[in-house]
Amino acid sequence: MSGPREKTLRLRVLALLLPAALAFAPTGCGELSNDELNRGVESLSALAAQGQLVAGGVARDATKTTYARAMARTLGEEAQHEAEKLADATLEEPETADQRHAAVAVAGEIAGLLSELQTFPGDERHGALVQKHLAEAQEKADAIVAQLSGDAP
Amino acid sequence: MRAIFKIALGIIAAIGGFLDIGDLVFTTQAGALFRYDLLWAVVLGVVGIAVYAEMSGRVAAVSGRPVFDVIRMRLGFGMGLVALVASTFVNLLTLAAELGGIAIVLELLFDAPYSMFVVTGAVALVGIVALLPFGGIERFFGYGGLLLLVVVATVYHQDPNWGDVAHGFVPTLDSSALYLYFVVGVFAAALMPYEVHFYSSGAIEEGWSEQNLKENRLNAIVGYGIGGILSVALVIASGYLFHPLGVEPNDLGTVALPMQGAFGETGLLLALGGMLFCVGGAAIDSSFAASYNLAQFLGWEWGRYQGPRRAPRFTASWLVFLLLGIAIAQSGINPVEITEYSVVFSVVALPLTYLPVLLIAGDRSFMADYANGRVATTLGWLYFGVIVVLAAAAIPLLLVTNAGGG
Repeated sequence: MSGPREKTLRLRVLALLLPAALAFAPTGCGELSNDELNRGVESLSALAAQGQLVAGGVARDATKTTYARAMARTLGEEAQHEAEKLADATLEEPETADQRHAAVAVAGEIAGLLSELQTFPGDERHGALVQKHLAEAQEKADAIVAQLSGDAP
Repeated sequence: MRAIFKIALGIIAAIGGFLDIGDLVFTTQAGALFRYDLLWAVVLGVVGIAVYAEMSGRVAAVSGRPVFDVIRMRLGFGMGLVALVASTFVNLLTLAAELGGIAIVLELLFDAPYSMFVVTGAVALVGIVALLPFGGIERFFGYGGLLLLVVVATVYHQDPNWGDVAHGFVPTLDSSALYLYFVVGVFAAALMPYEVHFYSSGAIEEGWSEQNLKENRLNAIVGYGIGGILSVALVIASGYLFHPLGVEPNDLGTVALPMQGAFGETGLLLALGGMLFCVGGAAIDSSFAASYNLAQFLGWEWGRYQGPRRAPRFTASWLVFLLLGIAIAQSGINPVEITEYSVVFSVVALPLTYLPVLLIAGDRSFMADYANGRVATTLGWLYFGVIVVLAAAAIPLLLVTNAGGG
């Protein structure tokens, strides 16, 4: 059954599958490298920045409530997802546990603020407050990124 | 005078119908990540689609053969089948992404569940296709897409540093994989295969002949050229607002934020409305392209102008593709992710689409006096070279960059 054609075919299939297997291997083991932790916190900072733009629209009465609500819900879900991802993963470098803990807290804070925006998408006062607090949350996330990359004072 | 008016209407529709969800996503992300540095890649893509759309329209007008007919004729059954499978896969992913895009925009406008709007959007498309003639469908979405001119007004309002913007049109090669991934994405989003499949079959739907060649050239060069300004404006608007803040636009709704920032609720509504028409039009184009390809490959009667009675298999396949698109859009995968995959996989299918067009459009024994001249031949081969290089790089870049996620 295992003639040269079958052998060649098997080798071809292996050659095709191996790069894909290698590409996906690092994501399957559940360990969070320093780079991945860094990227996760950077994406929290990006979510907070985007949330500020949405909240800014609410604060200036320059948006549509349906848009603000749907955007706040989507961004909030992303922040929540990021929090869960960070909390569940095993750290490759255990000395970054404090930063991971802080990042999970910031993610929860961002998700909570966006949830508030989702509840009051037409309230300018809430919009302004959420915008302010999201800016603070972004600063915290940026500070964690600085610590992780060794740029913190 | 009437002829000029008709041509002008076609050009306007081409401008408004230029963008789809792939352009919206990739250009906005490119601006947010690299500010204006990828403007040259947008221009490269726009010129590419203008060159190949003109060729495919000319072949269709002169020979009466649409692109997929030409593919099978030039590549034979075996390779033609490979091209059919590859392009159908990409068209289906694109259709699902556009249906998802419709649902997201409707969700942002009316705040009801996404899954409900996927179905509502698809039913609305069926209604529009059933009610309007072919030209009417094109114009309905094309004119509606012009609402996105608000992006150009936003850029004018933002008044960016024009020196920096001009610098972005000069090609620069950054060695980072993420930059190269976005070069591929921005270029491929402009040259999605369904665009030429639809364009050339549309030429036959509208009964084009040699007399329409001027119209074809103006539609492809002027219409797509001006349409490309919308892509350029999206990069600039996004680069101006998102890049300094570090925003990563992973949601379709984010595309509209710069317009809200510039013109408040009015800007937001114009942007969302324009996006709705663009993704709606692209959903029609990609679903039709999938059915055109299948029908042309298998030799079925095809065409919207024939109606369901004279082209029943074509009509049935269109409905099946639409149902499959709904199923994929409802699968829970983020439409933006589907878009990224469809754009990158489309690059791999591009050579199979564009090589036969290039060969047949340059074949004097087939096209006689209407064969490619020196400019079209040179540009065509240059672009084909670029396409082959990008096709080879697309999948490795997708894996290395984790689909642009870094």
